[in-house]
Amino acid sequence: MKTALFVSLLALFPLAANAEYEKVDMTVFGMDCAPCAHAIHVSMKGITGVDNVDVDLNTGLVSIQLTPGNVATMHQFNEAVERNGFTHKDAKIVAKGRITGTASAPVLEVTGTEDKYALAASAGAPNAASFLGKTVTVTGVLPQVAKGKIPDALRYAAITEAQ
Amino acid sequence: MKICFAFAAAFLLCATARASDHGPVFSYATPVNSQGEFSFDSGVFGRYGSTGTQLSTGSQIGYGITPQLTFTAFVPATFGSGSLPETRIFPGGEWSAAASWRFLHSVTQVGKRIEATGTAGLVVPGPQTDSGILGQLARAPGLTSNMAAGVASRSHYFWIGGGYTWFPERNGSRRPDTVSWSTVYGYRPPKLRRGLDQWDYRGLLELTGEHTGDVRVHNALVPDSRSTSLWLGPAVLAIFKDVAIEAGVQGPLHRDVSTSVYGREIVRFALNFSYLKYSSRASAH
Repeated sequence: MKTALFVSLLALFPLAANAEYEKVDMTVFGMDCAPCAHAIHVSMKGITGVDNVDVDLNTGLVSIQLTPGNVATMHQFNEAVERNGFTHKDAKIVAKGRITGTASAPVLEVTGTEDKYALAASAGAPNAASFLGKTVTVTGVLPQVAKGKIPDALRYAAITEAQ
Repeated sequence: MKICFAFAAAFLLCATARASDHGPVFSYATPVNSQGEFSFDSGVFGRYGSTGTQLSTGSQIGYGITPQLTFTAFVPATFGSGSLPETRIFPGGEWSAAASWRFLHSVTQVGKRIEATGTAGLVVPGPQTDSGILGQLARAPGLTSNMAAGVASRSHYFWIGGGYTWFPERNGSRRPDTVSWSTVYGYRPPKLRRGLDQWDYRGLLELTGEHTGDVRVHNALVPDSRSTSLWLGPAVLAIFKDVAIEAGVQGPLHRDVSTSVYGREIVRFALNFSYLKYSSRASAH
């Protein structure tokens, strides 16, 4: 019984380890001063799995580096912005996940989380359908959405099979 | 039970009309706390005139209930014996507690926001008596409200605001109702638009004004106790991450004040220190 449980855990762990946000670059509107940037920095660092945060006041860019195996979600990143009274715009992400859905409507499931995005290819991007069922690393842009929501679709520029 | 009552009273009896933490030092402004953020302010505020000097020290605590709603409480102490007119825009000897609601919040581009905030609160006389004509009054708690609107960006800041404080009559005495207003312009030069790990400076020019009504003592209006004045002066704000230091000085631009009642107020100055304690609490997914 113990062996079976151990084998089950081993089978589950690689999924979690390969399913995560690696990097999130969010554009945030409304930050005009150092305390604004500090507030965002503190809030983002409070999310489990966030390794490093850089905030550039002049471009509004918040760059978040995450640790391997994290289970942080887009909802948490967006909420960290909203709690401080700012507005999140587009976010460029690098994430690992599994391609599910159908050949005509591929979906990226960031399976360490409940985040799912319908995939739409940018010009020159490979066909996501050819990665169906595989674990991949995707680079793309999530569009701005209303407060409290997360985007439905990810416009990806690159997709590669994860090692 | 007594402790609960004391705590509730301390929370309720206290409000501020003054801009808090990293805004202008004399004027009304729109910033409110982040959700879960505590702000702590402590400052020295002085008024110097021909009848003496009045110094106030004040400590203010603020807490962001939501990103748009902040509660503040202000506890002052006053020193000196200047017989100066009532003022509400400048900290005096009253305890106050207030709620500020940012009802307009529009972000249009990186580093820029347009917003408006309304504040309502209660003003309660502190344990120290006023000096001069105001020291003769039986003081009653009053109600205060103010509104501020403006734009903040990486380079320019502009806010306008106005407030009104009303006091009821007590034992034949009545403190003057006060109308206050302010305009402030701020600028941060390109060289000082720096990153998170460096000091951030902003220069401000603050114009404030107040009109105080008649003072009533022993059921009689005190002659020439109304006052109207305009004040103008520079201020500097320096911020590093979660610490802000503000200092400013103002001189009179216009005075319609009886010198026989209040003397001649010549200068106002303020030095304020702020600490901002942001919340790092994140939701669980």
